[in-house]
Amino acid sequence: MLRFFLRRLLVAVPTLFLVITLAFFMMRAAPGNPFETSRKLPPEILAHVEAEFGMNRPLGQQYVSYLAGVARGDFGPSLKYQGKSVLDIIAEGFPTSLTIGLSALVLGGLTGVALGVAAALRQNRALDYWVMSGAILGVCIPSFVTAPLLRQGLASDLGLVPTGGLNGPISLVLPVVVLALPQIAIISRLTRAGMIEVLRSNYIRTARAKGLPERVVIGRHALRAALLPLVSYLGPACAGLITGSLVVEKIFNLPGLGKSFVLGALERDYTVVMGVIILYATLIIALNLAADMMLAALDPRVRLS
Amino acid sequence: MRGAARIAASLVLAAMLASCGPRAAIRPACPAGKACLEYGNGSEPVSLDPAKITGTWEDRIVGEMLVGLTQDDPQGRPAPAMAERWETSADGKRWTFHLRRALWSDGVPVTAGDFVFAMRRLMEPKTASEYAYLLFFIRNAEAVNDGKLPPEALGVRAIDDRTLEIDLTHPAPYLLEVAKHETMYPAPEHAVRRWGEHWTDPAHYVANGPYRLVSWRLGDHIRLTKNPLYYDAAKVCIDQVDFYPTTDPIAAERRVRRGELDVSSDILSNRVHYLEQPDQMAAYVRVHTYLGVSYLVFNTRDVAAFRDRRVRLALDMTVDRAFITQKLERDGRLPAYTFVPPGTDNYAAAPLPVWAAWPFERRQAVARALLAQAGYGPGHPLSFEYKHGDSPEALLIAPALQADWRTIGVHVTLAQEEGQIAYQDLRVRNFEMGAASWIADYNDATSFLTLLQSNTGAQNYGDYDNPAFDALLSAADNEPDAKVRAADLARAEQLMLDDAAIIPVSFFVNKALVNPKITGWVDNLTNWHRLQYLCVKRQP
Amino acid sequence: MTGAILAPGSRRGAETMERAAVKGRSLWDDARRRLLHNRAAVASMILLAVFLAAAIVGPYLTPFRYDAINKSDVWAPPLTAGHLLGADALGRDLLARILIGLRVSLSIGVVATAVSLVIGVAWGATAGFLGGAADELMMRFVDVLYTLPFIFFVILLMVTFGRNFLLIFLAIGFVEWLTMSRIVRGQTLSLKQKEFVEAARAAGLSTPAIIGRHLVPNLLGPVVVYATLTIPAVILTESFLSFIGMGVQEPLTSLGTLISTGADEMDLAPWLLFFPAFVMVATLMAFNFIGDGLRDAIDPKDR
Repeated sequence: MLRFFLRRLLVAVPTLFLVITLAFFMMRAAPGNPFETSRKLPPEILAHVEAEFGMNRPLGQQYVSYLAGVARGDFGPSLKYQGKSVLDIIAEGFPTSLTIGLSALVLGGLTGVALGVAAALRQNRALDYWVMSGAILGVCIPSFVTAPLLRQGLASDLGLVPTGGLNGPISLVLPVVVLALPQIAIISRLTRAGMIEVLRSNYIRTARAKGLPERVVIGRHALRAALLPLVSYLGPACAGLITGSLVVEKIFNLPGLGKSFVLGALERDYTVVMGVIILYATLIIALNLAADMMLAALDPRVRLS
Repeated sequence: MRGAARIAASLVLAAMLASCGPRAAIRPACPAGKACLEYGNGSEPVSLDPAKITGTWEDRIVGEMLVGLTQDDPQGRPAPAMAERWETSADGKRWTFHLRRALWSDGVPVTAGDFVFAMRRLMEPKTASEYAYLLFFIRNAEAVNDGKLPPEALGVRAIDDRTLEIDLTHPAPYLLEVAKHETMYPAPEHAVRRWGEHWTDPAHYVANGPYRLVSWRLGDHIRLTKNPLYYDAAKVCIDQVDFYPTTDPIAAERRVRRGELDVSSDILSNRVHYLEQPDQMAAYVRVHTYLGVSYLVFNTRDVAAFRDRRVRLALDMTVDRAFITQKLERDGRLPAYTFVPPGTDNYAAAPLPVWAAWPFERRQAVARALLAQAGYGPGHPLSFEYKHGDSPEALLIAPALQADWRTIGVHVTLAQEEGQIAYQDLRVRNFEMGAASWIADYNDATSFLTLLQSNTGAQNYGDYDNPAFDALLSAADNEPDAKVRAADLARAEQLMLDDAAIIPVSFFVNKALVNPKITGWVDNLTNWHRLQYLCVKRQP
Repeated sequence: MTGAILAPGSRRGAETMERAAVKGRSLWDDARRRLLHNRAAVASMILLAVFLAAAIVGPYLTPFRYDAINKSDVWAPPLTAGHLLGADALGRDLLARILIGLRVSLSIGVVATAVSLVIGVAWGATAGFLGGAADELMMRFVDVLYTLPFIFFVILLMVTFGRNFLLIFLAIGFVEWLTMSRIVRGQTLSLKQKEFVEAARAAGLSTPAIIGRHLVPNLLGPVVVYATLTIPAVILTESFLSFIGMGVQEPLTSLGTLISTGADEMDLAPWLLFFPAFVMVATLMAFNFIGDGLRDAIDPKDR
């Protein structure tokens, strides 16, 4: 197990490095200059400002010194927001995005698994049809349709939650629910399918034949195998949550990283964009690593391949 | 089944409970006995340093913390602030301001030196301030900004701690207006020297205005609290203000409706009419004419067709301003056939062009003829790209323009860009036809007309270069008689309009949603509603 | 959805696969019969056929063009002034706009999915089959691309090359192939364990032959199913992009753009949200039902 982990880790580090490099050079390849978004500067002033941010050096040199900075934990200053460093901006936006994303994942996961298992156990009966139909709706109705509808009903009309902004945990209720809905749909389908497949397998039949109580059969044996496809879904789930958070943060006016990120790319705020990419990339790589570990723990065949 | 029924029943119960009685708005806690204001401010500021800001939304915040020689009164007109009184020399080129006794929020006295320091800093090339050109009427300002002279050569001098002298290159009757603009705010020299670029951090920000900075959470809110050392602090009613970046005006509207915000600085224009219905938010809607104009610009540098006046005129005539203002924008704004908005001080609006009264079909027919004369017709159609931002208003107008121009045989492709990028492209001439807007920096016709001076640079998007126009503006600058000056400026505007240098589309209105419990908000021409005049009606 | 197609270790599954390997056609006949008995899938196919016809031919048949601005019809409610579904803030006929939007959304969905299919299947099957270092390398490459947040990638592309219809196809297709390859690789991995592969190898078949003759046909089922389910995902992604302002350029529109403007004007003109949302949700659901139906038809064990 440890060897497996180390092998995976050994690959994860260069992956991160590659991501940073790719993003760095792609960012610089885009036309536009961060210092000229408001006015075209006379050449001497432009040169001066660029020198201050170290951008007059050859690209390779900038890249190396950037990497060195990152290793020290210094992501540089924002090129757009005078006086604010990238770490400041990330520190302000990330907790919100993380809270919403994690909550949505947990809510989606728990609800989805529960619904999926219930549907699988009552296959082809009423509950199954309800869950499956709900799941299809959950996937097919985009979040920017559910969000305004829910907001109109729960926030504008009933006043149960605020219509926007960040004023404590109550402001996160609606965004989390909106983000979680598609996850509930997908996870419930995955769980149901996995569960059904497993319930018909030989070793479950064996377990039942051995006289084990149904709860143990399902809880200990079936669930473990059924959750396998779910673990490999974690990666896409994370990516989906990141994309979804952009929409949700916009609709509910939340100060998250999604907004800083898009704005940074459009304004050529290189340092902020790089900082956010590194953060997200590390997260996703770590998550994939965790998912692989879980998969290996649950399915010995993976470990040995 | 039973479990599901139970769940359904409890949901219904919850919904029933939820719907009885009005719910309190969800907003940040306000300390007992204090008045707090939640303000939807539009975009996020990029900085709180007066030398680095360019937007009205930024000055709405910074102008509460820093106060210049004059400041806005409730009508949005200049009133004495740091300066108690002032004199002008006979030729109008030297102004002497006498400052009152005032303190910075850390107890240090405000001196004339703070003004000198701030203006030199603004002019310094390395500050790269976008608004430096506004003060080019100060002696040597342009040379300092170009790096040809040191900042000390700037024509502002502190005679003593409470006397400030400003030398101008030409008389500027509107100087008192400019004095309340952020370019002439003082800067706390002692704090800036000590903290450098970090002087704007909440922990270090030193203010001389009615409020001081408590916190700035990027994307979330900026919090100001009352400054007890402000010279007029006794009159300030509101104790705490939170400014929120509300880029989506409809979302802001929703929040105001629910009471989560007290003010929204903008309303989506085509919703104004709807909100003014008695059963909607009639008591909240505040609309007033504004010193602002939206207009289209031609890239005469790169597009040969636009160098032909007939082409420009044809396109100008066939913009259906009536449709745009009444059916698309719907917020009571006026169609614009001229450039300087009505209501501008010391100025009479230019007469409408003769074709403004013609029916639209006639204008289209004449436009087709003009285009044919210029060599464009069915066999050789005029085609270009119209670049615009992504504001809801821009998105409405663009297809309308495209459709109307199609009927006279012009092929327009639309290029939509994010707002800031669209502005960048205008400044660097990366466009063929562009959409622009301008809001007066100070209440005078020159605030608009200087945009078209040949030496204005980036802001002269169309690179309009007319020596006669420039000459008239220079003459006006040096003209002491207000009437003659107004006449010069009017002639200049007429020249420019005859040339169809730009296509004016509409004159803005300023619109805001203000909770009726807020008192002291006066709708005015310049859209400045300083917080020190506002108060909150206490609930009995 | 994915690994559930072929239940590992089930005897009937193996028999089915064997039969498939030997006489492929009758398996598909069975599948077709089962599919046609699935009422939801059949209804969805009819609906999609209607929508497809409407999207292709409709814009030429409506009384108003999708970009024609009718100045007196601003915000006309449905069934007024000749607008069946009403008009928008510019007086443009909503029915015509929806048909054009459907056309745009469907084209992006189909083309991007096709792109992702070709690349994804080839990549994933090869990686899964080869295993070992080659597999590691290929999937690490997928991982690297995965970690680039999609939005960033698309924004950069759009910023560099402008807002281009073709670009949107490529950008979305380029991202979707990653998931496709992962799934195909996973499928291949589990298929590899099967007896018939070992048998084929023992019989001396070359690697490309094994991949081509045994693996790919057995992958076809899940791939077709996943492709049918990718189309709605692509349409959704495109509407996300439209929502944050990166979609197709005006006056062209997509269902996503229509919905996002409709959502804003919900209280003034609810028809602007309701009709496009209905069409989009119906389309997406139809694809999902068909995909599910295909999956059930190919391996009835799931039902």
